[in-house]
Amino acid sequence: MPDQHRLARWLGALLLLGATLALLLGAGVGSTGFESVLNASSDPVAWQIIWDIRLPRTLGAWLAGALLGLAGAVAQGLFRNPLADPFLLGSASGASLGVAVALALFGVSPYATEWLVRLGLTGAAFAGAVGGVLLTLALAKGVHHTLRLLLAGVIVGVVLGAVKDLITIAVPDILQAMQAFMLGSTGFVGWTACGVMAATLLPAMAVAWALSQVLDGLTLGEATAHSLGLPLAPMRAALVAVLALATGSAVAQTGLIAFVGLAAPHLVRSIVKTTHGRLIALSALMGGLLLMVADVLARWLIAPQELPVGVLTAVLGGSYLLWLMHRRSARGGFL
Amino acid sequence: MNKPLVSTPRPDAAIQVRQLRVSLSGSPVLHGIDLVFKKGRWTSMVGPNGAGKSTLLKAMAGLLPHTGEVALLGRSLASVPGRDRAKQLAWLGQNEGGADELTAYDVTMLGRLPHQAWLAAPSDADRAAVEQALRSTQAWEWRSRPLGHLSGGERQRVLLARALAVQAEVLLMDEPLANLDPPHQSDWLDMVRALVSEGKTVVSVLHELGMALQSQDVVVVQAGRVMYAGATASPDAHRAIEDVFDRRLLVQAVGDQWVALPQQGKPAESKGRA
Amino acid sequence: MKALMKKLMVVALVFAVLPAWAIQVRDDRGVTVTLPSPPQRIVSTLPSLTETVCELGACQRLVGVDRYSNFPASVRSLPQVGGGIDPNVEAIVALKPDLVLMAVSSRGVERLESLGLKVVALEPKSAVDVQRVLGVVGQLLEARDAQRVWRVIDAGVHAAAQSLPPKAKSMRVYFEVNQGPYAAGQSSFIGETLARLGVQNIIAAELGPFPKINPEYVVRANPDLIMIGARNADNLAQRPGWAALQAIRDKRICVFSPEESDVLVRPGPRMADAARIMAHCITKQAR
Repeated sequence: MPDQHRLARWLGALLLLGATLALLLGAGVGSTGFESVLNASSDPVAWQIIWDIRLPRTLGAWLAGALLGLAGAVAQGLFRNPLADPFLLGSASGASLGVAVALALFGVSPYATEWLVRLGLTGAAFAGAVGGVLLTLALAKGVHHTLRLLLAGVIVGVVLGAVKDLITIAVPDILQAMQAFMLGSTGFVGWTACGVMAATLLPAMAVAWALSQVLDGLTLGEATAHSLGLPLAPMRAALVAVLALATGSAVAQTGLIAFVGLAAPHLVRSIVKTTHGRLIALSALMGGLLLMVADVLARWLIAPQELPVGVLTAVLGGSYLLWLMHRRSARGGFL
Repeated sequence: MNKPLVSTPRPDAAIQVRQLRVSLSGSPVLHGIDLVFKKGRWTSMVGPNGAGKSTLLKAMAGLLPHTGEVALLGRSLASVPGRDRAKQLAWLGQNEGGADELTAYDVTMLGRLPHQAWLAAPSDADRAAVEQALRSTQAWEWRSRPLGHLSGGERQRVLLARALAVQAEVLLMDEPLANLDPPHQSDWLDMVRALVSEGKTVVSVLHELGMALQSQDVVVVQAGRVMYAGATASPDAHRAIEDVFDRRLLVQAVGDQWVALPQQGKPAESKGRA
Repeated sequence: MKALMKKLMVVALVFAVLPAWAIQVRDDRGVTVTLPSPPQRIVSTLPSLTETVCELGACQRLVGVDRYSNFPASVRSLPQVGGGIDPNVEAIVALKPDLVLMAVSSRGVERLESLGLKVVALEPKSAVDVQRVLGVVGQLLEARDAQRVWRVIDAGVHAAAQSLPPKAKSMRVYFEVNQGPYAAGQSSFIGETLARLGVQNIIAAELGPFPKINPEYVVRANPDLIMIGARNADNLAQRPGWAALQAIRDKRICVFSPEESDVLVRPGPRMADAARIMAHCITKQAR
């Protein structure tokens, strides 16, 4: 058996290298193709396309993917459930509801200045995601019981979704705008959005890494984790906060992109067996690379048209997981 | 032979339990337990299924809400900060599944958490403790294998190593011999005896009466009450054990050891034919 | 000295007059957009706006449209820049437009503006909106005849209404927009046209513009005429209770082809055509 710690380091380096390559590739693909790169020095529009559109978009895809991968690893560790997904605690439905409320109140009125609307929608999605998680916590009466948290998350998801539906029936004008905002897309990410996501990613990773011990302890069961002297309740609360902020930040900038948060930790675990500190960091790197590659492919495959990036994350992540399952069952292992 | 309860903890007691009551889902499971576990001794806890042995052990480890007092090494358990308690008391529970993705080494290293400073990398002392623990459970050879690739017995030995790595004064173990084959059960016996000779205190809930009869002290539990607490190698202990198991076994001497042999139902107690 | 003063005067005059040459409009977001000169390269991401530009005679200035814009036929050969919900930012920028027309609900508005493009967000939803949008786009294009275009459209609708036989005025109509079923209410654009034509809409006004109704509602209201698109027109008789509807039994159903549906649902310059299509069908069924 190879040394898992060294393997983890190699994987990290490989993922970073892959991300750099994908970033360079991302600067070269798009609806105008490679000519923009060739003309960049002479044509200011081509330069703008490379520098102001393709680069921030590709980097933004990495940042959003990293946030989702990080949140997915935290969710799967917190709930000790490999099916856990960052949108589990009501963050997705909360974000949708937040956007719906903002649109219904301010959105399409002729008196709203445009920057208020812009800030409002992104902020509303973020606030809604965090609010959804807080509501779940309140319903589950704290972070002590994992099963109760999960159940509360499902309930909150359904209820908030229903409220959102009511709002869209009452104010049908907002339906288009809401769809436009929540549709998973990396196409509107500029340098500012990259900055906002990076500002969330770094502290989230630091906090999650610092608290990874509690996730390790939890793998042995709650009784053992408690016996190891881990202050479970405050650490779990902090991890839920990280989950909410990371997910909210990603959703606010790129809408709902499924599967990245679910698949990234699985992909990491299929390659290296390691404790949560490294798992979380590697999941972030893996999620970033996954979404970045999906974004590049979305722009490349049917250029000059674009595919929705969510389709590609599902295809990429899903096929690899399917292959993994097939390989394992062929070997006769469990699943 | 219950020891009388005292209001101030005894200095020679590793764990002292006073009027311990535990209720689960509203119904009482433990009814006013008083016990003293002396330092440097191995006590096994036996009793029929559902007697409350695991519950009692968990309450002693501070893992269940309870009324009454539990004192650890002379101090009330509730007043001991979490990390200190974790350094002094190691717990090995039943059915600790889930760590499939971690290697045996990493799992054992988790036992060092109470000793590690926040965010610190493992120290030499940590590494030495992990190696010692893995060697004493014969798991050092495959320390890089993930738990999911191990058999039930190998896994149990890794979990045992995890508890050993804590290097705590007091070890509480619930069914530590699950999935272990006879050679490894003997290894476990040797390990416990070595711990006790170092002055550590071990309390183990055991189903295997043959093993339980090897311990120095025994606590016999039935229906949430202590039927007997005291030396194992005494006729009172043997009678108590036979009683709680409805006299379906007999404690016999074989050489200088005691064993429990199954008995057929006695005619006076046989139930009517269905 | 005198020559210098003269030069200064000219310069001052130029600067005083310059703002008057710029075009300023207020779009549907409430934002005032200023263009230095009439736009020559226009990208439109909303079919009704595409049609408006062409109706005002500036079709040749369009350099890119969304994938749903299909009228007039000449725009189909233009480069496509995504849809209303998912505009392709790079494609739009690459076309170097000096004006981008988008729906208010589109997410790309802020992004494109942050990249330095001029974006005017307009989203016509009712007949009043169509007139207003014609005016705004006319201002942008400095087309003098925006009002005349509107009068022609309005007159067309009026003529369609006049062409209906008197019997049609009492007809009660149900217009189904989509599977759901979603009906066209009185406050919707389609409902307004129906009202101009003089027919009754079975959908109560308080239900809103595009309510999702219970099929039972239609059974109870018992319309004289059903208007529906070809895509949704299968198996109408199979709907619970509908087989008994008078309109189904007498085959008083207007089934619109996809091209006709396009005209009917878009609040744009083809309002008059929409009115004519509906009037034609009503006349046929009123016999």
